[in-house]
Amino acid sequence: MNLSRRDFLRLVAVLGASYVLSKYKLDVIKVFAQAKDYIHICWLNGAACTGCSVSLAQAADPDLLEVLMSITTYTSGLPIALPDWMYVVHPASGTLAVEFINDWIKNETAGPKILVIEGAMQEEGYCETGGRDFRDWVIDAAGAADYIVAFGSCSSFGGIPHAKGNPTGAMGVQEFLEEVGMSDKAKGVINLPRCPGHPDSLILTLASLIQGVVPELDRYNRPLAFYGKNIHDEQCPFRAFYDKGIFADYGESEVGCRFKIGCKGPVTWADCPTIKWNDRTAFCIEVGAPCIGCSEPEWPDGDYAPFFKELTQVPTLLGYPAETWGTAFLGATALGVAVHFARSKLSGRKESESESKSEEVSG
Amino acid sequence: MPSFKVDPISRIEGHLKIECVIDRVPELNNEYFVKECRAPVTMFRGFEIFMVGRDPRDALLFTPRICGVCPNPHSITSAMALDDAFDAMPPPAAILIRNIEEAAYYLYDHLIHFYLLIGPELGVIMGPEYGAPILPPVAGREGLEKGIGTHYAKCVEIQRRANEVVALWGGKFPHVTNYYPGGVLVEPTLERISKTLAALVPVWEFIAITHIQDILNLIEANERLKDVTEVVLGARVGLEDIGFGNGNFLSFGMMPNIDDYESDWLDTSKRNNSLFRAGAFYDGSRHPLDENKITEDIKYSFYDGEDGLHPWDGVTIPNKDKPGAYSWTKAPRYNGEVFEVGPLARMLNTFGMEWRIPRIHPITGEDYGDFVYRVRNPKGSILDRVVARAACVLVIANKVFEYINELVSLVKEGRTEVMNNKPVPREAKGRGLWEAPRGALSHWVKISDYKISHYQCVVPGTWNWGPRDSRDRPGPGEAALQCGTTWVPRLNVIEIANALYDGWGDILAEALTRLNPKYANLNMEPTDGGEYVNATIALLVVRSFDPCLACGVHIITPSKKTYVFEVSHGLCSV
Repeated sequence: MNLSRRDFLRLVAVLGASYVLSKYKLDVIKVFAQAKDYIHICWLNGAACTGCSVSLAQAADPDLLEVLMSITTYTSGLPIALPDWMYVVHPASGTLAVEFINDWIKNETAGPKILVIEGAMQEEGYCETGGRDFRDWVIDAAGAADYIVAFGSCSSFGGIPHAKGNPTGAMGVQEFLEEVGMSDKAKGVINLPRCPGHPDSLILTLASLIQGVVPELDRYNRPLAFYGKNIHDEQCPFRAFYDKGIFADYGESEVGCRFKIGCKGPVTWADCPTIKWNDRTAFCIEVGAPCIGCSEPEWPDGDYAPFFKELTQVPTLLGYPAETWGTAFLGATALGVAVHFARSKLSGRKESESESKSEEVSG
Repeated sequence: MPSFKVDPISRIEGHLKIECVIDRVPELNNEYFVKECRAPVTMFRGFEIFMVGRDPRDALLFTPRICGVCPNPHSITSAMALDDAFDAMPPPAAILIRNIEEAAYYLYDHLIHFYLLIGPELGVIMGPEYGAPILPPVAGREGLEKGIGTHYAKCVEIQRRANEVVALWGGKFPHVTNYYPGGVLVEPTLERISKTLAALVPVWEFIAITHIQDILNLIEANERLKDVTEVVLGARVGLEDIGFGNGNFLSFGMMPNIDDYESDWLDTSKRNNSLFRAGAFYDGSRHPLDENKITEDIKYSFYDGEDGLHPWDGVTIPNKDKPGAYSWTKAPRYNGEVFEVGPLARMLNTFGMEWRIPRIHPITGEDYGDFVYRVRNPKGSILDRVVARAACVLVIANKVFEYINELVSLVKEGRTEVMNNKPVPREAKGRGLWEAPRGALSHWVKISDYKISHYQCVVPGTWNWGPRDSRDRPGPGEAALQCGTTWVPRLNVIEIANALYDGWGDILAEALTRLNPKYANLNMEPTDGGEYVNATIALLVVRSFDPCLACGVHIITPSKKTYVFEVSHGLCSV
């Protein structure tokens, strides 16, 4: 198959990232070989835990070294092409490191310049690197970037640091760029949330961008290829338990839907159940845990907190407790209605967000 | 006296810089050595603030996100703090699952430190024969065929396999989701157990055979380094002589047994039988841990309040205009003294000064010979920390197969319960003490009206990288850098490599400058006197601690703020 630039990520959307990677890995590698330069990636860490970098190191097929030796090298002829800067793996520190970042910002390159950001943006004074506030680095780097990828929930939407109370004014890159008047750049930010970011989602997004194709995005600028499907409604292997009204309690991982222990699958859109994690080993629900909804803009608050508290709005929307759901509404219509309500609630949440937050704080 | 800084420092977790005043030492051929050092950590998120008011169980999923390199220790430490608060002792299978998951996690963590984080510097020191496999695969596939970066590449694969085991039980790595007060959410199925066993055999082989051989090679190459320093400095200075502290080492212990969990493990003054013991090692021997002796000083921190408060009583009243303060981290002390934490502290408290660790293949029974090491510098050093990390990982790699066997036995007996489920208490407090790879980790939670009312994390990043304390004593990290033997050569990396092994520097130069000509200046930093100095050894000291600084949850150095730090024997102004 000739993996063309036309509908690369559409293919991912249809077949699932996991399938595409395993089936078309060579083609994925081939599409990078179209220019005369290596891929210039600048990877900056803000208010991060470094978990997204560690997550990239868990990429299995292709793995991190394959990416660096086959993909980012492009047609440069280099044996290996490191990102121009990436905190966690880079040989250089100090003066040379700052020079590399500045070179990336200043220099014209033949290939696209891709800025990957890990970690949240904050108010001034909470994160400093190379003698400058992190905000200033991002402003300069975003200005120079052809593409901006926010990898992980922190750089996408603020993530954990923007949890209720948010002492450092944490926010996602897109919101930050809007705030500093770089709206055109903000519009183009591609968000790859989840905590941590999923390595395959990053590799496939880079593959697409290098071809000059911006993936089709949802209203939160997440590629539909990875975030187009609801976990509970469209993908969860434990879904049948829900339909039959069989619910797992704490410490009973193999039997039952996790809804009653707080699973946020019904209000979460991500491909975890199919792509899984760590070389397709498992995902949260599979080990008896609830989905905590880490791909969603409001996470870790709103509907997603507390993590172990049963979601209230899905059953109450129709007025029936979760136990009777399966038996009372075996048909998909009722479920579809519920999902519809959940979706519209999500989309309408922006306006009421600050209101409900202040309520919860005082309560 | 001239000074230089390194900002940012790559290949560590978090945002750290070092600022060093250097001075010539006439007895050592008039070469530069670090005289004074400060190591500000430059990022703050505020976990202890935004966790207050939440469901206590949220801590299980919040605290791992303090650090994505060492998330699992936060998972288990918060789980143990909540076990304590919920009065829910985990059943035996849950204890074993926790041990297996944490063990697998450790195998990843210690390995990536050696190969991915500190390895590039060590590889240069180890030379063309021993060092080439340690280096990153800078020459690509062709280079790999010639042996450049082979162990590095293998480590990338092996750490992934170890983390697949973490994901088998935890759902994903980083940031597992299977912990719960009173146990775990995941069941011990035979499928999970057999997959665990299958994945960990190649990990054991890599550790016990390849990694330990690399460590033995490093110890041998260190003698070569001393031959060179003898010429250049006029004294045999090796990696065991650089970066020492005061000889105090603190460990909280980890990996309990199921049969004496209550009698030995839950009493933190015992922890005699866990895989790694708790204890305070000073004056050359281990003393029982007294968790009441943990305090935090704030003299140089931007907080109002008192020095010397225990984490149960610790208050966090920020005051960024506090005179004399220079950091937002508190300075943890044990019994009022400075203590280093980390793998060396674990090994000293558990095995003393001489270690003998068997290498018997868990499946075939083949004996690869004991790994034997006697601590070179009882006050710690680059070499001792690196070797201690490898010794820890070998101890754990051996032990995890016993945990797997024990779990199989429990499953056969039908003792598969993994949860002692208790409701969220209305009012309670609890603490968890464990060893993160980088050292002693403790969480202290108070619950009020079913919500978190107080959460304090005293983390390795603050034990090792906290600021000066109430008696103006530097923490272990700064102290190690200014211990007097941190050589700051004027020779660059290439020249040093050539001095160590004829032509080795030229090989490195060719590989590096092909990637970018500017790599010729690797680690060269300008001093304020206009000279260029080589920060490699200072960075080795920093990385020997494996700094993990996102953990410094309350750490901040405000930007655009200058300060003068006065010490009794000099002035370090930045």
